[in-house]
Amino acid sequence: MACMNEDGQWIVLMGLLTALALFFLALIINQSALVGQTTAEGVLEFPKNDIRDLRLAIFDYYDDYGELTLLQQQHYVDDIVRISLERKNAVVYFWDGPQQDVSGRMLRPVTIHYYNGVTKYDETVYY
Amino acid sequence: MSLDFLAGFTIFMLALIMVVSMVPGLLAGLESSGIDYDAVAYRTGVILVEDPGWPVYPPWEMNDEAHKDEIERMGLAVSKETPNILLSTKVDAFFNDSFFTPDDYRSKAIFGDIPYSYNFSLNISQPDGSYELKQTGDPLPLGGYGYIRRVVKIKEPGAADIGYDSSFNETTLDPSKPRIFTVQLDFSQLLDPDVGPAYRIDPRTEPVNITITDFGAYLNRTDPSVDNATLKSVTFWKMDPTRPMPRFTKIPFSYSTADSSLYTLTIGGNPYNLTPDTKVFDNDNISFVLKPAATSLFTLDQNSILDIRFTFDDGNPQSTFMNGTFRYDYANVTIPALSTGVLEVAVW
Amino acid sequence: MVNDAGQLYTMEGVAAGVIMLLTAYIVISTTSVYTPGDTHIPDMQLEQLGSDVLAMMDTPDNREEEESRLVVLVKGGVPGGDTLRTEFLNNCKMRAGGDDDDLRAQVYLTYRKMNGDVSTIQLSSSDPGFTGRENTVRVTRWVHLPRGSTYGLDNLDSSRPHAVLVEVLLWRA
Repeated sequence: MACMNEDGQWIVLMGLLTALALFFLALIINQSALVGQTTAEGVLEFPKNDIRDLRLAIFDYYDDYGELTLLQQQHYVDDIVRISLERKNAVVYFWDGPQQDVSGRMLRPVTIHYYNGVTKYDETVYY
Repeated sequence: MSLDFLAGFTIFMLALIMVVSMVPGLLAGLESSGIDYDAVAYRTGVILVEDPGWPVYPPWEMNDEAHKDEIERMGLAVSKETPNILLSTKVDAFFNDSFFTPDDYRSKAIFGDIPYSYNFSLNISQPDGSYELKQTGDPLPLGGYGYIRRVVKIKEPGAADIGYDSSFNETTLDPSKPRIFTVQLDFSQLLDPDVGPAYRIDPRTEPVNITITDFGAYLNRTDPSVDNATLKSVTFWKMDPTRPMPRFTKIPFSYSTADSSLYTLTIGGNPYNLTPDTKVFDNDNISFVLKPAATSLFTLDQNSILDIRFTFDDGNPQSTFMNGTFRYDYANVTIPALSTGVLEVAVW
Repeated sequence: MVNDAGQLYTMEGVAAGVIMLLTAYIVISTTSVYTPGDTHIPDMQLEQLGSDVLAMMDTPDNREEEESRLVVLVKGGVPGGDTLRTEFLNNCKMRAGGDDDDLRAQVYLTYRKMNGDVSTIQLSSSDPGFTGRENTVRVTRWVHLPRGSTYGLDNLDSSRPHAVLVEVLLWRA
């Protein structure tokens, strides 16, 4: 029967080494695939369009502000806050301060807070 | 070296060669997946659609060949506050690929260390339902390119069409005095912050278009043989109401040099410089376009008033009654509706 | 003499080859498992496109125009919803050279009723091809609904302006 000649073991060792090298290569490739994934995810996750849209909605409210009764103002604010929470899973609140003279125009400071669990956004804008 | 060893080693080498030949395929798959290209295309799309570019005033699109290096970034948006609304003058400048070289597009719009290939296209829907396609760059490959599509609106400059208006037909003036017809641009009115940037008339970024039609109706018909009047000159005057004792001063300008990058003046379809001294016949149109490149030379600010004065002089008696001031403002100027378009960016 | 030690080299060569080829096979199959991470990119493109279209439909073409096209269509309620979807998709499909025809959409509207409850209704009629398993993206737009009558929006207080949320599910068929 076979005598235990182990001279050939190094061939198997070479095979193992190549296999190991391949695994490392695969690891690197997987990492780079992850980079592309996070780029797209970053774009998807950062709610740029949502925040921009929310600001416009709030500005629309302040366009109408003067002609609304107190109750209607409260309703409108509730529209934005409650629908944001329910449909966009975002905590939104905003309030305004007294009107100020900003380079000749009467503007009110509007503070906006937005938080959707991942991204937090705070801003005070004169409108 | 036995035969058995050779057999074993050959099998090993064959397998090794097969595996090694698979590796570049593995890497090539990574390269062509377009991961990087999509991100670059997205970024380029954002720069073009959501940013007005740099410098803002005077806007980058006015830079000529000698000042091309001053352009830092090519953005097409009307302003930072109005993403997706593009200015037609910026669009026209951007797609002028006889002015911009591929390297300019790479360094001022795409930004990246790799010399990417690109294809930009803008498909603008026209009121009649057809499309106007603007395109620059290399033809698209079959696949493997990064891509983004943005839906935009395009803002066209306003135009004043001055027909017959009895208030400009001043028949009671001294018959020997030259007639001066003024088109007045009050910047404090035009740049009123209450008008959104998407609907603003801004002579600093958009051309001012003036067309005088129906010129014949203003002619002095007391002498029935009169069928023309002489347009002596077109001059620019400015006033700064914030200064003490404001008054109009004539703006120094090379009036007698025709330069289509600054203005165009056509009378009856023929081009002239600003001292035409030529006869305008009763069915001729006078059309004048003041480009933003000229407006930037006038050193105007947001309170200035700019007068464009058309002087008609035929001696005594004058041949036309056209006189007075036309206000180039939101009430008198037609601003075309925003048109929808699609901007596509492909990078590979 | 037949020495069966010679068999060993061949056997080891075969073993090494099998190990390498197996590894290569496993490596290639695992990396291809990771590539579906790329599906985020089409999602991102679709989401950007959808929110662009909603934003542009909510932009009046003239300064004199009081209401944007989107507001007009939302006021039209459920019957206006199909028009809204058609116009939305027409804008999405537009591109240089041939339309991008395999896009589908479904429009929803969220508003607060007279009693303060948040209510979401489907504005466009159901798409027969929609199974719920599609890879959809959701784009939204706040719409300022001015005072005055609307059509088909149940229990909406028309004596005050509203902030309502238009939601569009967008997918590739």
